[in-house]
Amino acid sequence: MHLYNLGAVSWWESQCLYHALAILGREGLIICYPTTAYVCLGLHDDLEQEIDLDYCRERGLPLIRRETGGGVVYLDCRQLFFQLVLRRDNPLLPLRRERFYPRFLQPAILVYRSLGLPARLRPPADLIADGRKCSGNAAGDIGPGTAYVGNLLLDFDFDTMSRVLRVPSPGFRRSLRKAMRDNMTTLADWMPVGSVTHGELEEALVAGFAELLGRLTPRRPDEELMRTAGKVRERLTSSDWLNMPGRKTPERRVKIAEGVYLAERRLGRRGSMTVLLKNGKVEEATWRGGPGDCSEAAPARSMPSK
Amino acid sequence: MRAGKWQIPETLFYSHDNYWVKLDGDEALLGLTEYGQSTTGDILYLELVPAGAVIRRGESFGSIESGKWVGSLVAPVSGIVMESNRELETSPRNVNSDPYGEGWMLRVKLHDPCATEGLMDAVAYQQWVEEQVRREQEDEVVS
Repeated sequence: MHLYNLGAVSWWESQCLYHALAILGREGLIICYPTTAYVCLGLHDDLEQEIDLDYCRERGLPLIRRETGGGVVYLDCRQLFFQLVLRRDNPLLPLRRERFYPRFLQPAILVYRSLGLPARLRPPADLIADGRKCSGNAAGDIGPGTAYVGNLLLDFDFDTMSRVLRVPSPGFRRSLRKAMRDNMTTLADWMPVGSVTHGELEEALVAGFAELLGRLTPRRPDEELMRTAGKVRERLTSSDWLNMPGRKTPERRVKIAEGVYLAERRLGRRGSMTVLLKNGKVEEATWRGGPGDCSEAAPARSMPSK
Repeated sequence: MRAGKWQIPETLFYSHDNYWVKLDGDEALLGLTEYGQSTTGDILYLELVPAGAVIRRGESFGSIESGKWVGSLVAPVSGIVMESNRELETSPRNVNSDPYGEGWMLRVKLHDPCATEGLMDAVAYQQWVEEQVRREQEDEVVS
């Protein structure tokens, strides 16, 4: 198995190289992080529904739509990516693609645990520590390959993530930020910032993947790979591709982690309720009475969701 | 007819990618088999090519997203799409709950009168599913 331990790469290379490997039918493990921030949509996300385009423009945040699942993510250099591309006929790949996550995520679990985070898998593909999500992961069949992608969170910019998404009200945005903060954790919560470097995490991940995949042969991206990645970039950032209609929901609903959603429920013409759903139950409900949008959160009540 | 807990209607044809084909003259209805949907898991979203599109056997006719995986829908036959099931855009889980009924995906006018060549009949597909299940059980033991 080829190992592309690339360290810092441009924002688009951090997405397009693994697509290029898959399209070329080449197997490999990429470990990298982007030097600058960007916003990445899942294959079926609806741009207009999901993204505050004005904010992204103001901040100069580029957009790209990946060919794997999951939702919108804000990505920057505080996340270390691990991206494994296998040919679809690789015997490692089970027919039920979700069944590979426990193996794919084992190296990340071991890295987190070595740093004091009690990480474990919450099926199908979240890693959690202390009940909070600490790694987001996705997979997709791309050309003749299948890509599994994940990340380790050194830290996370909750403010910018909550700004990037289009939401129905400022109050919803506040609830969103709080829900992410309450339901996600990063290395920065567990140790002083800067006490572990990208390089140390990369080394530990490589060791873990060598256990899973056998001998890893270091490689640099060659001309064919870079050329293909460039073409992938053109396609995945093109206006047509970004504006491709996607999954529309009748209510605004943001997935925070597996089983955790923040949703807006319309109540008549003027009012609405922001509800935090956790494992099918309402954990918090906030009435939004009108334009003032200043009401307090209602006490948490355990009632079944619709 | 069944393979394990999965239903395999005897009047349909099947592809190795787990799609069923129901022939009706020079047209065919197609969808994912009950076993196929079980390997995909709960379907969150489906995107199908629209009416008027040309599909080719072995090539993509849309994409599918389940819990944490995205993949292509692979055409079992070639032809022109007469109708795609728009209901699945809002109710993709019909494919899980009723794969041979409300979960149908496309109605296609066939290009080739020999459209079923390369497809399996119910008996062959039953054997093929049983073989896949055996392989899955072996995979589980190994992992």
